[in-house]
Amino acid sequence: MQFQMQIAVTQHGGTVGWAVGGACIFATALGGLRWLRVAQREHYLPDSASRFALRWWGTAALNQMGVVLALAGLVLASRWPGVAFAPAAVVAFGPLGLGLRGTTSPLRWTRRLRTLAAVWATIQVAVVLVGVFTGFAAVICAAGALAVPAIVDASCVVTAPLETRLADRYVKRARARLEKVKPKVVAITGSFGKTSTKGYVAHLLSGSAVVVASPASFNNRAGLAKAVNEHLGPGTDVFVAEMGTYGAGEIAELCSWMTPDVAVITAIGPVHLERFRDEQKIVDAKAEILVDAGCCVLVVDDPRLAQLAERAERGGKRVWRVSGQSSSSADVSVAETPEGLEVLVRGEPVARGLSLNARPGNVACAVAVALELGVPATEVAARLSNLPAVAHRLEPRAASRGFLVLDDTYNSNPAGARAALAELARATPDGGRRVVVTPGMVELGARQAKENELFAGEAAEISAQLVVVRRTNRRALVKGFIGAGHRAGTVPVLQRSREAAVRWVAEHLGPGDAVLYENDLPDHYP
Amino acid sequence: MSPDAAVAARVAARVAVAFGGPSPEHDVSILTGLQAARELLRDGRDVTGLYWSKSGVFHKVSATLEAADFLEGVPRGAEELRLVLGDGAGFVPAASRLGRAPRPIELDVVVNCCHGGPGEDGSLQGTLDLAGVDYTGPSMSGAALGMDKLAFAGVVAAAGIPVLPRAPLDPATREIGFPGPYIVKPRFGGSSIGVEVVEDLPTATARLAANPHLRSGAVIEPFRTDLFDLNVAVRAWPEIELSAIERPLRSQGSAEILGYSDKYVGGEGMASAPRELPASIPDALAKAIRDSAREIAVRCEVRGVARIDFLSDGETLYVNEINTVPGSLARYLWVDPALSFADLLDAMITEAIECPTPPHNAVGADGSVLRSAGGIASKLG
Repeated sequence: MQFQMQIAVTQHGGTVGWAVGGACIFATALGGLRWLRVAQREHYLPDSASRFALRWWGTAALNQMGVVLALAGLVLASRWPGVAFAPAAVVAFGPLGLGLRGTTSPLRWTRRLRTLAAVWATIQVAVVLVGVFTGFAAVICAAGALAVPAIVDASCVVTAPLETRLADRYVKRARARLEKVKPKVVAITGSFGKTSTKGYVAHLLSGSAVVVASPASFNNRAGLAKAVNEHLGPGTDVFVAEMGTYGAGEIAELCSWMTPDVAVITAIGPVHLERFRDEQKIVDAKAEILVDAGCCVLVVDDPRLAQLAERAERGGKRVWRVSGQSSSSADVSVAETPEGLEVLVRGEPVARGLSLNARPGNVACAVAVALELGVPATEVAARLSNLPAVAHRLEPRAASRGFLVLDDTYNSNPAGARAALAELARATPDGGRRVVVTPGMVELGARQAKENELFAGEAAEISAQLVVVRRTNRRALVKGFIGAGHRAGTVPVLQRSREAAVRWVAEHLGPGDAVLYENDLPDHYP
Repeated sequence: MSPDAAVAARVAARVAVAFGGPSPEHDVSILTGLQAARELLRDGRDVTGLYWSKSGVFHKVSATLEAADFLEGVPRGAEELRLVLGDGAGFVPAASRLGRAPRPIELDVVVNCCHGGPGEDGSLQGTLDLAGVDYTGPSMSGAALGMDKLAFAGVVAAAGIPVLPRAPLDPATREIGFPGPYIVKPRFGGSSIGVEVVEDLPTATARLAANPHLRSGAVIEPFRTDLFDLNVAVRAWPEIELSAIERPLRSQGSAEILGYSDKYVGGEGMASAPRELPASIPDALAKAIRDSAREIAVRCEVRGVARIDFLSDGETLYVNEINTVPGSLARYLWVDPALSFADLLDAMITEAIECPTPPHNAVGADGSVLRSAGGIASKLG
């Protein structure tokens, strides 16, 4: 840095050059911390920092003004280098609302992040050097500061092959371990319900087999390899793997070294649409899990999954058609009745009146897997009665001030949100007020605005007061809520953070009222 | 070793606390290990964490980690190790530095906090013996005996100390010499995991096939609701010494037996489980416990600290089992006589250094047998 600064000084002369250069580098470093964290939160996908930068700079009026100021400063800096302070200041302090280290999801200096940061810093230094040697130091340094998100993304692209090679080592080891321990592999994918179903499968099997389930967040290549290498003890009978996907070919790659004996697709929904573009691509990507599996479990309530069931059967696979509704044709159906959940296996009741807080489709998948792996129906029935609760999934509890709290903060899909509204409508005592607190749903691509509008409208229809958290979906939620013509004629309450919304709820609700917390967003979202 | 040198060696000893392991009690062992490591650090010692993953890989970790750091598996910053036998034996870093063959990490004593599986069954001990690494806690044979419920009951009964009838159970078992209901336990297992209460023998044998924890062997005993647990800790160094007697309490409305979650879930491991300590029991019963525990300590080669679990109806006493690497190293039981955790660990480390497990030797293999032997083929002929 010393060397560059010297040149900057000689180019522009005096303290202005020094100060401008220093300010730009300072701003670049702060920007780097912000956008490296975003890249980390977004799984180092190569467009993440830029996408979030556009979101952040485009939302609040102050941030939009900041962008205008920074760009103006950049243009004028070629004439008056001192003006480059403007973009530097904007990058150093903005976008307002995006913390440097984060609170819900702090920056973590992992080996991978350190590698990424080193590549990023190298590129930024190169940019500065170009500026210095071409004689436009102020402009180019400022531009470099503004371009931090793009350069973070570029660094993700540069490091991707290295990361794949590093992961290869772990995958190789995991493959050897699987071959040695030889567990039966149950692979579960789906747009939602994966984690719950995985927990249910492990629970139903654990009375009759040594079961290891992959930890929740370990659902990609590196994560599953780590899960095998660190958790798959000798003598494991069944490994239950949750497989997530952001694109075509990912699940196929996982199955190439972790071949499922039983493959499960829990549901298809518009999740990660930002990356998939359309839902058929999601279906295709999830269907990769079936290719090498000898047995498939599919929730045929979705016609697309019913179609996959047909295809799998034609391919000579054993197929369990399961349903989350009362269905006579499904192999396993789990339906909600006034007395509780009812489980039918090929039309025969196995369990009745289960008071479980669980999505019927997920339970049906787990029952099918357990039966496929030889657990007797009587034991399945016995174990169903104490299925583990999944935290934050439509979990009801009483707040200290006497109102009912429905916690559905782990849900992020429209179908689940709709079910949660229905539960709120049902669970609120007569005469009680209903409140829905939500930042809306994300990752829905072109449908995101529409889905959030619809959700807000449905909240208005059950006469709930809507509390909109953060800015990400504010416009769509407000539009949907007001457009639906709320009976009470109220407007949505706007809150900057979840904490502020919780305080609002505590101040406004009392005994007999009910609040639904629907979805939550980490703090790298506006 | 002269006394002064011994003290110096003890204080300067580089200690590695081993915990985890491919065991059902992997998680509990992490709690015990972190407690011991923290206490040793506070005592001013040179301490390393030796984390043994569920899949059986050793790692060097910081002694200051928290339980939450292990939630997702191997914690950040862990260095993979291999336990090497033969030349250059010890815990050796898996990654070579600058192309040079790595050397074993420097340590004098392993403080063994591995519960429930290898580590409490003699297998880790056997490997450490072969590697020439000194360790605290039971020897290979002491651990193996303590882990085998059938063998242990036999040794205790042979000493004239009462035990409940205990019989091996396998799918072909058609008759048991005592009436039900029964309690079925894994023959080799350190905790209540896999334990089942059944009404009759057919149900018991049916559970053998279904319950994965009973696969490698099971024992069956009468299930008696009138009995309650009484535990005492014992250490053999510097001399045999017993802790206060505890009566563990079951969580209200919970299952028929003292379950895993009663002992371990929701706290600091065994140290925070509900209990009556010291137990208010008749003097005669307390004396019977003390006498039995001393006898068992000798016969079962107690080393380090062990916890012996008894059952009683208030008058009669039965020995139930021995835990040779007890949860939290049974530190919470030493209230009378009072013994700090640091002093307990200190004694265990001293014992490990001054009284190591017996080394293997080849005395007697002087070649005479080989000299007098003819050709191998002629012996087979």
